[in-house]
Amino acid sequence: MTAALLAVFIGSSIRLAMPLLLAAIGELISERAGVLNMSIEGMMLAGAFGGAVGAWATGSPSLGLLVGLLAALPVALIQAFLTVVLRANQIVTGLGLNILVLGATTLAYREIFGARSRETIPGFPAWTPPLLGDIPVFGEAVFRQVWLVYAAIVVVILAAFVLRQTAIGIALTAAGDDPRTLERAGLSVEALRFGAILMTGMLAALAGTFLSIGDIHTFTEGMTNGAGYLAIAAVIFGNWTVGRTVVACFVFGAATALQFQLPAIGLDVPNALLIMMPYLLAFLAVAGLVGRQTAPRALATPFRR
Amino acid sequence: MSASSTLLGTGRAPLGLLVPVLAVLTAALAGIALIAMLGVPFRDALESFVDGTIGSPYAISVSLNRSVVYALIGLGFILANRAGLTNVGGEGQIAVGGIAATALALQHGVGALPFGLAFLVPLLGATLAGTAWGALAGVLKARIGTNEVISTLLLSFIAVWLVYWCVQSTALLRQPMTSAATLPESLPVPEATQIPLLTGDAAAPVTAGLLAAIVLAVVVALVLTRSRFGFQLHAVGLNPTAATRAGFSYATTVVTALAIAGAFGGLAGGLMLLGEQYSLRAGFSSGYGYDGLVVGLLSRGSVLGVIAASLLFGFLRSAGISMEMGASIPTALIQVMQGLIILTVAGAAYWLDRRDAGH
Repeated sequence: MTAALLAVFIGSSIRLAMPLLLAAIGELISERAGVLNMSIEGMMLAGAFGGAVGAWATGSPSLGLLVGLLAALPVALIQAFLTVVLRANQIVTGLGLNILVLGATTLAYREIFGARSRETIPGFPAWTPPLLGDIPVFGEAVFRQVWLVYAAIVVVILAAFVLRQTAIGIALTAAGDDPRTLERAGLSVEALRFGAILMTGMLAALAGTFLSIGDIHTFTEGMTNGAGYLAIAAVIFGNWTVGRTVVACFVFGAATALQFQLPAIGLDVPNALLIMMPYLLAFLAVAGLVGRQTAPRALATPFRR
Repeated sequence: MSASSTLLGTGRAPLGLLVPVLAVLTAALAGIALIAMLGVPFRDALESFVDGTIGSPYAISVSLNRSVVYALIGLGFILANRAGLTNVGGEGQIAVGGIAATALALQHGVGALPFGLAFLVPLLGATLAGTAWGALAGVLKARIGTNEVISTLLLSFIAVWLVYWCVQSTALLRQPMTSAATLPESLPVPEATQIPLLTGDAAAPVTAGLLAAIVLAVVVALVLTRSRFGFQLHAVGLNPTAATRAGFSYATTVVTALAIAGAFGGLAGGLMLLGEQYSLRAGFSSGYGYDGLVVGLLSRGSVLGVIAASLLFGFLRSAGISMEMGASIPTALIQVMQGLIILTVAGAAYWLDRRDAGH
């Protein structure tokens, strides 16, 4: 592999890892609080759709981003209401919401865009940070990215800090590990979980808008195409910690980038193996082959006072 | 727990029946409103809805074949769920079942086997493949406590991509490449390995899978209510510690329960392949496993509930396809309706559970 090829590979790995990372950090927040949030796929799709429609209607990608966040809000609210207040099965509500959002966005997309579906949607331009861009060969190829990439890094650092260092982060983890004790300590498990799901919704929506107006500047039906489930696999492979989840997202991003680069490099690795690899790695991790796994103890268990 | 309460679910008739009926009515109203919004004449929509579901022996047969797949996944789900386990792996169990069925059916000589063995052998292989896929999650749960929700979900993704791999590689199951236009799918399975049609008439292609599903539904109902094993599942589901003290092995129960759920999924995959699709294609499981999981959950643990929900989902899926072709209504409309039904019933479990706990 030449240096130039390597630079392109690293650049596209980062670009592909970032939406995954935003979604995975969102999912991590829910799961740490004890909610296995399968609806992240639907939240991302709603965000992608809202972002595209908003940017197209207003001509401004920034307003599109806002509409994308708003579009994911009802999905998050329904997920939170059903699982926290009504204690419904988290997996079922997740699958139900995903199919509902897939159907609703597809219908709405055809109604709104119809024959105009080939029209480009205004999106965020790529941007190169000063100094970093001057690095020979790698500068432009690696660092020329949409600003959302840099925003995502900030979000991840913030999330790591909040989860590890603040009272609310510790309470959140307790809500997923030992909700009964948390309740006895006078804190509301319901409020923490409800808030965590809303937070997941916002981060997932950010990831979704990244896909539609950050990366390719268009919307296609069902465009998330399992990215949400990939984020769940990243959290699992990441052993429910921020650091390892970040690593997982970059590994998964690199695996995806490699699929497009294989012909250029001339390596004969089955495409299917690369697509499957994230799930395989996550499975090996939960099978205990990559160190000890410690899922939140109350994960996917509704809390009954 | 009495036999009748397992058949009808823990919910007693009025509310237990009212909730799904209301959910379906709500979804139907939403569907009608959306059809009006899309500007499709209501008559056209209704006509293609009826055409695709009950309009012809063919439509009924195809819908029933779909319902069989949902029912098998749902039955496996409620059986494992009785032991407190949530099998999210139906999709992957279908996928490995389809791979095994195809591989065996295309094996030299299998198509020439007598006495129906030509299709029974691949079907058995499919069931065993699903069993192994399910048992794997059970072993992990029993040995190192891996949450089966997570392991079965991941195993599903792995299996779905295994299918893709199988049909991409000529070293595996892809048909010989004769030209650049050769599709990435397996050779069609020999006619002798196809599941016999109950009617013997291709105009009403309901397969013998329907009989298998009916028999298995009765067996599951009996096992859950009348057998020692059913009691064992229930005991482990209620309180693993107490069940272990009573002499039931937790590990054996968990592995067996998930293996059986996997077997049902594998069988469903074999039936889909040998009874409808006839050659392996990427993504052939197309969400049946996840819908089947929802069928199992909506049934609230009752065999009759599984039958009702699988019929509903089977006929709805047919309706969606027919409305797309006949009246240009996107199948997305059916997805919206299905999503609404799932969310309504899942949310209503709150009142059903509370009432069950209250008596």
